[in-house]
Amino acid sequence: MARRHPAESRGRHGRAESPVPDAAVCVRGLVKTFGDFTAVGGIDVDVPRGQVFGFLGPNGSGKTTTIRMLTGSVAPTAGHAWVLGEEVTAHPERVRSRIGYMSQKFSLFEDLTVAENLRFYASIHGLEREVFEQRRAWILRMAGLEGREDELTRNLSVGWRQRLALGTATIHSPELLFLDEPTSGVDPVARRRFWDLLYELAEQGITLFVTTHYMDEATHCNRLAFINAGTLIALGTPTELRDSFGPGATLEDVFVGLEEQSRREP
Amino acid sequence: MSGRRIRTLIWKEFTQLRRDPLLLRLLMIMPIVQLILFGYVVAADVRNLATAVVDLDRTATSRELVDAFRGSGYFTIVENPTSETALQPLLDTGVVKVGVVIPEGTQDRLLSGQVADIGIVVDGSDSQVSSVASGYATQIVARENLDRPARLGVSTVGPGIDARVRVVFNPTLDPINSMIPGLIAAILLISLSAIMSQAVVKERESGTLEQLFVTPIRPPEYIIGKVTPYAVLAIAQMTIIAAVGMLWFRVPFYGDVWVVGLGLGLFLLVCIGQGLLVSLMARTRAQAIQTTLFLMLPMIVLSGFIFPIASMPAVIQPLTYLIPLRYALDVLRASFIKGSGLADLALPLLALAGFAVVIFGSAVLATRRRITE
Repeated sequence: MARRHPAESRGRHGRAESPVPDAAVCVRGLVKTFGDFTAVGGIDVDVPRGQVFGFLGPNGSGKTTTIRMLTGSVAPTAGHAWVLGEEVTAHPERVRSRIGYMSQKFSLFEDLTVAENLRFYASIHGLEREVFEQRRAWILRMAGLEGREDELTRNLSVGWRQRLALGTATIHSPELLFLDEPTSGVDPVARRRFWDLLYELAEQGITLFVTTHYMDEATHCNRLAFINAGTLIALGTPTELRDSFGPGATLEDVFVGLEEQSRREP
Repeated sequence: MSGRRIRTLIWKEFTQLRRDPLLLRLLMIMPIVQLILFGYVVAADVRNLATAVVDLDRTATSRELVDAFRGSGYFTIVENPTSETALQPLLDTGVVKVGVVIPEGTQDRLLSGQVADIGIVVDGSDSQVSSVASGYATQIVARENLDRPARLGVSTVGPGIDARVRVVFNPTLDPINSMIPGLIAAILLISLSAIMSQAVVKERESGTLEQLFVTPIRPPEYIIGKVTPYAVLAIAQMTIIAAVGMLWFRVPFYGDVWVVGLGLGLFLLVCIGQGLLVSLMARTRAQAIQTTLFLMLPMIVLSGFIFPIASMPAVIQPLTYLIPLRYALDVLRASFIKGSGLADLALPLLALAGFAVVIFGSAVLATRRRITE
């Protein structure tokens, strides 16, 4: 398949409208290869708006690469990805101002204070002063960081860093939030608290696209997709997936079973 | 391109720099230390060489010759061994760098119109010292040959040749006058490529780079925001060197400020581009440091900053054309010492412009391509 470069597709006009224009995410035949290695081998996914969508798979199955293609950080080798109705490779900047992204590294500037981190992202997104004050107050309350604005981020413990990272990723009130293993390395209490926050965001109408390999977190999602070795092997609500696997099956059984099945018949 | 985003990135970079007071202090102390090193140590003239004199002749002539050595200021006579065999251990142990041996019968031979040989033994382990010492010694003996017949009232046979070397542009031959202008460019290269090499790789390691490129920031905005604070620091460093060099070391400046500014501006882009490239290619900060060190030494050695290019082997010399520092040195030295103008320096300036376009340009392209993968 011919390699498409983002610059090339940007030049073409009126090409490829999204088949599902009102979906938060719409993916058709998305492929990413690095040399001989196929990280993502042609997947199709639709994520309606307002959903908490769980993207599950073992380590190295292509979850992060898929998210990176959806955020426009990495150009796909083939296929199409529409995010909020825009084709990502054609208009990455239009997409980026409307989405948020939080990686498993929490990616804060550790040598800046809490307040400076917020100010930086607010300014990058061009927030008006009043809007920023409002968002800032909300984030500090949400993260439990009121009164700690002038602390250096590197001195915060992991739960606070995680919630601050969620705050900086949503400072511009995105319509869609990508979370790449946002709870790795966080204790169960902080994880629970974090999911409460995610529900709060979902209630505000934000679409959440979450990768995880914690099965208890997967049950919190409206819909799930299983990916293994770059291929989508199952898609459905948690209940549908459990039922399809027989009575009394847990999501963990589904996950392990599907993984083994796809290994036997590649 | 958004001015607000660029300003925000610059503000962020400066705030982070401020949180690293050690780095800032190092950056400002470094030019001072380098000035002292190169101003006093490297550029120091070879003087007061420890010398042993073996005077086996013990005549008026031999004493005059010894006085000539002593009076020159280049040789300090610290030992007077009584035999040539006693001289060897002094050289072996490094107590003296130079030995002067005046054989028995030197005055007699001279008076009878014969050629008298005297021995000058020079410690060759330091080539700089040995070449300078033998040069001075030869001069002193030649001078003595001219003066002695005159003192004795004997006219020399024929007028002879008396070469008087006139040094243009740097009349005092003070090495510092070419060292300090060169230092401005060398510091720029050393400090900028070292700090810049860390700039991007640090953000990649912490994951913030990936985060930044999921915001509306475009690669050119990122580069400008990243580069500007360090360019400002580099300009401050250069100003310190130039000011200290001219005020304290009294290095004269005959050139055109704008020509020097143009040359340094182009070289600045080259250094920043080089640092950025290293930072983009490296996976870890340690890799970036190793790569920078690996590049730095050949660049400095081949540039002619310390060792003159003309004295390099013919095979090596063409390589020096690939070293941007070489052209920066050309521009700075010629401007400071010779007062060369734009027209005289068109060639090195064009070369620098070429390097700036290629190196900085590929850094920009590489940022687009490699920033997240």
